[in-house]
Amino acid sequence: MFGKLFISLFLLFIFHNDPADTQKKKETLMSEKVTQMMEWTSKRSVIRMNGDKFRRFVKAPPRNYSVVIMFTALQPQRQCGVCKQADEEFQVLANSWRYSSAFTNKVFFATVDFDEGSDVFQMLSMNSAPTFLHFPAKGKPRKTDTYELQVRGFAAEQLARWVADRTDVQIRIIRPPNYAGPLLLGFLLAVIGGLAYLRRHNLEFLFNKNVWAFSALCFVLIMTSGQMWNHIRGPPYAHKNPSTGQVSYIHGSSQAQFVAETHIVLLFNAAVTMGMVLLCEAATSDLDIGKRKIMCVAGIGLVMLFFSWLLSVFRAKYHGYPYSFLMS
Amino acid sequence: FTPLRGGLSGGLSQPAGWQSLLSFTILFLAWLAGFSARLFAVIRFESIIHEFDPWFNYRATHHLTTNGFYEFLNWFDERAWYPLGRIVGGTVYPGLMVTAGLIHYVLNLLHVTVHIRDVCVFLAPVFSGLTSISTFLLTKELWNQGAGLMAACFIAIVPGYISRSVAGSFDNEGIAIFALQFTYYLWVKSVKTGSVFWSIGCCLSYFYMVSAWGGYVFIINLIPLHVFVLLLMQRFSKRVYIAYSTFYIIGLVLSMQIPFVGFQPIRTSEHMAAAGVFVLLQVYAFLQYLKDRLTKQEFQTLFFLGVSLAAGAVFLSVIYLTYTGRSSYAKIHIPIIASVSEHQPTTWVSFFFDLHILVCTFPAGLWFCIKNINDERVFVALYAISAVYFAGVMVRLMLTLTPVVCMLSAVAFSSVFEHYLGDDMKRQSPPLEDSSDEDDRKNAVTMLMLMLLMMFAVHCTWVTSNAYSSPSVVLASYNNDGSRNILDDFREAYYWLRQNTDEHARVMSWWDYGYQIAGMANRTTLVDNNTWNNSHIALVGKAMSSNETAAYDIMRSLDVDYVLIIFGGVIGYSGDDINKFLWMVRISPSVASQPQESDYFTPQGEFRVDKAGSPTLLNCLMYKMSYYRFGEMQLDFRTPPGFDRTRNAEIGNKDIKLKHLEEAFTSEHWLVRIYKVKKPENRDRVEHKLRGADTTKQKYTSKKVSGGAEASSEGVFIQERTQLDGT
Repeated sequence: MFGKLFISLFLLFIFHNDPADTQKKKETLMSEKVTQMMEWTSKRSVIRMNGDKFRRFVKAPPRNYSVVIMFTALQPQRQCGVCKQADEEFQVLANSWRYSSAFTNKVFFATVDFDEGSDVFQMLSMNSAPTFLHFPAKGKPRKTDTYELQVRGFAAEQLARWVADRTDVQIRIIRPPNYAGPLLLGFLLAVIGGLAYLRRHNLEFLFNKNVWAFSALCFVLIMTSGQMWNHIRGPPYAHKNPSTGQVSYIHGSSQAQFVAETHIVLLFNAAVTMGMVLLCEAATSDLDIGKRKIMCVAGIGLVMLFFSWLLSVFRAKYHGYPYSFLMS
Repeated sequence: FTPLRGGLSGGLSQPAGWQSLLSFTILFLAWLAGFSARLFAVIRFESIIHEFDPWFNYRATHHLTTNGFYEFLNWFDERAWYPLGRIVGGTVYPGLMVTAGLIHYVLNLLHVTVHIRDVCVFLAPVFSGLTSISTFLLTKELWNQGAGLMAACFIAIVPGYISRSVAGSFDNEGIAIFALQFTYYLWVKSVKTGSVFWSIGCCLSYFYMVSAWGGYVFIINLIPLHVFVLLLMQRFSKRVYIAYSTFYIIGLVLSMQIPFVGFQPIRTSEHMAAAGVFVLLQVYAFLQYLKDRLTKQEFQTLFFLGVSLAAGAVFLSVIYLTYTGRSSYAKIHIPIIASVSEHQPTTWVSFFFDLHILVCTFPAGLWFCIKNINDERVFVALYAISAVYFAGVMVRLMLTLTPVVCMLSAVAFSSVFEHYLGDDMKRQSPPLEDSSDEDDRKNAVTMLMLMLLMMFAVHCTWVTSNAYSSPSVVLASYNNDGSRNILDDFREAYYWLRQNTDEHARVMSWWDYGYQIAGMANRTTLVDNNTWNNSHIALVGKAMSSNETAAYDIMRSLDVDYVLIIFGGVIGYSGDDINKFLWMVRISPSVASQPQESDYFTPQGEFRVDKAGSPTLLNCLMYKMSYYRFGEMQLDFRTPPGFDRTRNAEIGNKDIKLKHLEEAFTSEHWLVRIYKVKKPENRDRVEHKLRGADTTKQKYTSKKVSGGAEASSEGVFIQERTQLDGT
């Protein structure tokens, strides 16, 4: 009888106490996690996560906050131009939230880079980046928790609308005004104006043909070496083969190019041009015969060497091109 | 290499008679070389119009020669853009058609009976000769006769220009480059002489350019830029004043006579720079006049400074607007523009491919021009800098860069040859013992330079023969033993359409083939390469990417009788409709309830046609039409039946049944497949009530407000359809 009462009391104690205990544990764990997340957010508005952090703070259950995660591949060798733009927009969104007056610990923004947490990508069986996922505070992510990137684009305003839809947190997007362009222009103008002011008694340099010819040549060389393509397409500087560690500076196809390659081509073109100019100078200048001889030989050497080099680079890219000169 | 080698000796100072005979011979040979280099396609295939746009130009020219000029200007083409039609007379640059028509007319007057098609095919090669002559004249004005001859030889064979002017490529650019160069020659001439005669000539040439190509905007911005820079350099003179004032006024009036241009020259921003410079020039000339009468020169200089700064600001803002227009357009990626490959920026490989040695040497020519600057060399420097910028932004504008590259390279090469070739250039000062050594060196340099030029000629021939001489209407494949197979599927199918379908049958196809269907099959098309109405193209894209039932609704609403598709799976032709398919999806209107682009990919984000492909793709109309009966076909013993050679995959949906379509024709190599759209069955689709005229309208609007209906988003035609079904 006594024993029975004891057992029942014990049971009661267990049943009564145990949930409270786990609840408490859960709460401390949760508050710990929230504090940790808040600390990270105060450092950077977008938390960078790897596999461990992702499992602990996003996947593991006790959680009272939503996390919006951008899965991306920002390493230059991944050649993901869209990721960069999407990342900028995501930063704008996260900053707008971080520095708004309504900032709470209900929503956090995080990012997982493929090269830091490829296991997460595997876990979620994702192979395209960028992807935006929302992990709600309660329950499992549903279909609508995947942001429809193809349809809505990655403008911060669209993302904010989606976040508001999923989490009831309204974020007003505040874009930091871009001062870089006007500042740079102002700086350039100031430099030019300052130079003109300093040299105001001697504006001869404006009439210096060498300066003008040189700048025209620079512009032409920049254009013919495909820098505009680089500007619009944003290719990587060079490609490093991840398995062998070999760095290739020349893209294998004629449809694309690396930045390094265009710099090489620019140099080659400039060398051939210089060779031609030297050849003419050698014949017309009033220097003594020895110097002119050297100039002439150097000129023809530059033209021949760098043109055939350029031809061999072209041949390596344009498969099936039959001609070469001096070097194959 | 005859013309090239001949070009060198032009620099020799010969008696005048010999010199002109030599120049004449060289120009003639350059014309001949340029003409024959462009005949690869005619010799390999036949005298046939190439590609897509030329087919429209040919059709328009044919219309012009059969119906006369006024009928052509008023032509409303009801066979294109069904049911909208197209006002052709007001939406084309008529210069090309009129030129070809005129040549045809003159030849027929002389009883040389040629078909208009042959005139069209050989027009561009003939004009390439005229281009090299006008390049010769321009370069001669800029530098000297030797450089001119060399430039003429360069432009005759350079691939950057050949790419648009091979025989059969009957397109605006073929004659426009001649007009461009000739206008520039006359402009330089009028700036040099300051005579109204040359200015009027320049205006007339400009008028021809405006009538021929939209690229005339380049001229109307470059010439004002030249004048503006001359003003800044304080090189203002009466000659410039007369030349530009005459050119601007008469050129403006003449350019507005072209119906397609109309009032654009006084309304749009790209013409405003010319107007601004005109005003500035008048103000400047007035101030100059005052300066002769007054003494307060300081005040006037200040005033001039203010005026020129204001004008500069206007000019820069115009350039800025144009530039941002281009870059924002690149960012937005209007799908239909982005889908055209020639609107891409240019890699260095394309520069080298199209210009070879010239791309490395023309900066040297630019250097010489700027070092020895005068009025007309300012012009060529500006021409080079602006053209090289535009060519960097867009591949197709390589065409406007090519002439100036030829000219400047010719300047560079001819200044080298001037000093290293020929004995009379030898200096008097060097001592005698050095002269033999110097001769050796000179000979070596000459030989090496000649070798470079020979490589250039070889490169040009190779590129022309391999890259730019395919008509793309007729395909050729080569066997292992070198023998050749001609695949004439396109013409086979178009001819079938012409012979076996009703004269007013409407053929739906992707817009790439619109001009060809109109030109070769003479049937009505829904969309074509003119691409002026995006929503219409989107509707066709939607039909192609929907499932058969939805597509049938769209096709019924557009009165489609036949559907034509290109399928390359049998022969491994990569430019077929399945490979273009994603563009159709992208261009078709995207509404959330409709299938999205992502629905056509596998969950892994791949575009696959085999079993792993997305079910939306495997059941859309384009897939079904492409692979109908293909599952039964075994191409060889190593691959399973239904193996697509283009995408190297066994197709995923082999049991394709068509309900509303039936196969009408498949060409020999399955390249073109034509399907007939069945008429609705008698007893099908009678769910809707008989017409009740009074209630229909009200219901229609209420439905639109509620917005619940899925199909209401499919565009105008479909809305009507749904509304009929629903009531």
